[in-house]
Amino acid sequence: MSCIHISEADALHARAQSFVKAYEQRAPMPEAFDSLAIDLARYQAAHCAGYARLCAAKNVHIATISTAAEAPAVPTDAFKVARVATFAEGQARVTFRTSGTTLGDRGSHELRTTATVDAGALAFGRAALTADLEARPAVVVVGPPPSEAPDSSLTHMLALFVRELGDPSCGDDPWFLREGIIDLARLDERVSRLLQRGGPPVLLLATSFALVHFLDGLGEATFALPPGSRVMQTGGFKGRSREVSASELAAEIERVFGVDAAHLISEYGMTELSSQFYDATLRGGAPGVMMEPPWARVVPVDPETLEPVREGEIGIARIEDLLNVESAFAVQTADRVRRVSGGFELLGRAPGGTPRGCSIGIDELLGGA
Amino acid sequence: MNDVIDAARHLARAPGTLISELTHATGLSHEGVVLGLAEHLETDATADEIAALVTHASEAPHVHVVLSANVFVAALRAIALAVAAAPEVTIRASSREPHFARALVARMTMPGVRVTPEARPEGVKRGEIHVYGRNETIAAVTATAAAGVTVRGHGAGMGVAIVSAGADVVASASAVARDVIAFDQRGCLSPRLVFVPPAAGPEFAAALSGALEALGRIVPRGALQADEAAEAERYASTVAFAGHLLRGAGHLVGFATSVVVPPPGRHLHVVAADDLAVRSSVAKLARSIVAVGASHPEAVARWAPPHARLSRLGTMQQPRLDGPVDRRT
Repeated sequence: MSCIHISEADALHARAQSFVKAYEQRAPMPEAFDSLAIDLARYQAAHCAGYARLCAAKNVHIATISTAAEAPAVPTDAFKVARVATFAEGQARVTFRTSGTTLGDRGSHELRTTATVDAGALAFGRAALTADLEARPAVVVVGPPPSEAPDSSLTHMLALFVRELGDPSCGDDPWFLREGIIDLARLDERVSRLLQRGGPPVLLLATSFALVHFLDGLGEATFALPPGSRVMQTGGFKGRSREVSASELAAEIERVFGVDAAHLISEYGMTELSSQFYDATLRGGAPGVMMEPPWARVVPVDPETLEPVREGEIGIARIEDLLNVESAFAVQTADRVRRVSGGFELLGRAPGGTPRGCSIGIDELLGGA
Repeated sequence: MNDVIDAARHLARAPGTLISELTHATGLSHEGVVLGLAEHLETDATADEIAALVTHASEAPHVHVVLSANVFVAALRAIALAVAAAPEVTIRASSREPHFARALVARMTMPGVRVTPEARPEGVKRGEIHVYGRNETIAAVTATAAAGVTVRGHGAGMGVAIVSAGADVVASASAVARDVIAFDQRGCLSPRLVFVPPAAGPEFAAALSGALEALGRIVPRGALQADEAAEAERYASTVAFAGHLLRGAGHLVGFATSVVVPPPGRHLHVVAADDLAVRSSVAKLARSIVAVGASHPEAVARWAPPHARLSRLGTMQQPRLDGPVDRRT
């Protein structure tokens, strides 16, 4: 990687970070979304051979595109079978990995720097989770600590929230899931102490499957959190706990923790991205509607043509993420979404519609191992 | 047993309206249906093969067969196995493609074999249920089966093709193409992956794409359903990023050093890999592999999954009628 190449990447990072700074300062965005998006696409095509090949296969001349929508999106599957990075191997500061598949392949997302990712995660996480609070909350995580999940992008983000959003005086060690076991007794002690001393609200961060285990462990009991507390949940359940409908889980969380619906916030993110999306309920948004930061957008596209669907129709999510500076600014997922007023709805994976006889389906073949 | 095979021979000789019914129901092209009846209906079983099939069959007072769609000729083997197992056989054909099973049974003379579209697996009170299709279908039938009823599932799977060093690249590519066009690759015997020696990779991928294009002119691909087309497009983008993509009028051939399993619909992924890497990939996929086709079957026999049907390239879709196609269970 040449010095010119690095300085070009660093300049793109700086431009991406300017979006985050402007958001934090409630200032106008420094430039048009598409302006940076197009420059990222060109940079990635120039320095990532796979993306150049994808552009060629789609007959896209990246030098002449005039909108971000013209740039092909990299399917999430590509992260499992190829290196999606513009810098040389060995220059990655961190490598985040997806969960495994039957083939044993784990997708990976390499980052040469976490500064851009961290800035975006913190700015938007703060806005979505704690903007209404006057003081820092006590952050507790029902999830594995970084020592147990060193290559998890989610754990990286949660650790950032612990450090930067939480009140450090509320206790050491905010991680309450170790080696797959939830330490209910310690969590109970932590929350009881907070309640006794009239401590700040709790920001409880958890994966959905961990929450299901947590609720199963409690049975009919409740686990009231201090007033103003909120719960952030993320991720699915498949193969890791019993499956529960979103509404059923939400009702249980509200009952057990004593939080109201507006304080239950779902997060949508993935290893292949650098940005996240949240329910906007704390900001008066409708339940089930997710909001985007100004540096990322979710475009529902037709699964076959990959062209944007009409407003209000369901498509699969093409996610344009300006913080994915040195990987893929546009990522094609298989998640179904629909644009609605104020953001988008996340509708899960497409059901396997076609009876395929005895020919094995991709989902069956690549089901999480 | 001969009654089933005789009925199949009769159907192959005089299909009547069956070809148009199957063309409409399966989504295969007219030529694809004709090919299936002419070359993939197992009507020439030997006495030894039939004896082997009977040996594989269980013993029960009643067998209820739940068939899947797409590979219509599979009904012959499923019914043969049921008939070998029980004097009373009821068949629930796929609602999308009930024609082949109906036509076959109509030509049989054996009493006690009936197509029963309304019969639900949970209504079976004794004997066995033989389920063919997706794993989730098998799981659903198993979950609702009455106590004392045995469920035998024949789940989804796929084939892999292995081209050894020194094999004729063009001939091997043509043979693989023949294995793919039958039933538009929707059967569990169809190869989805082809492992080739690294040096032969680009040449093989090009030859395979050429062979599929040529065969596609004779036996056109039928229509892909929307979700199949979407999966194909996703595969195309993935392989374009990870390797090289060759797109034909009715097929995709991907070529890379990594394994990407394409969806059915005449889509093949060519993996350039040395012998060790091939063995490793096949081992990882073993539980999904129903069939292995090889340019040199004797070279892979020692390490191919023991349950897989091993055959020469070009004959993967013509398994002998000697037991279930899927030997994993």
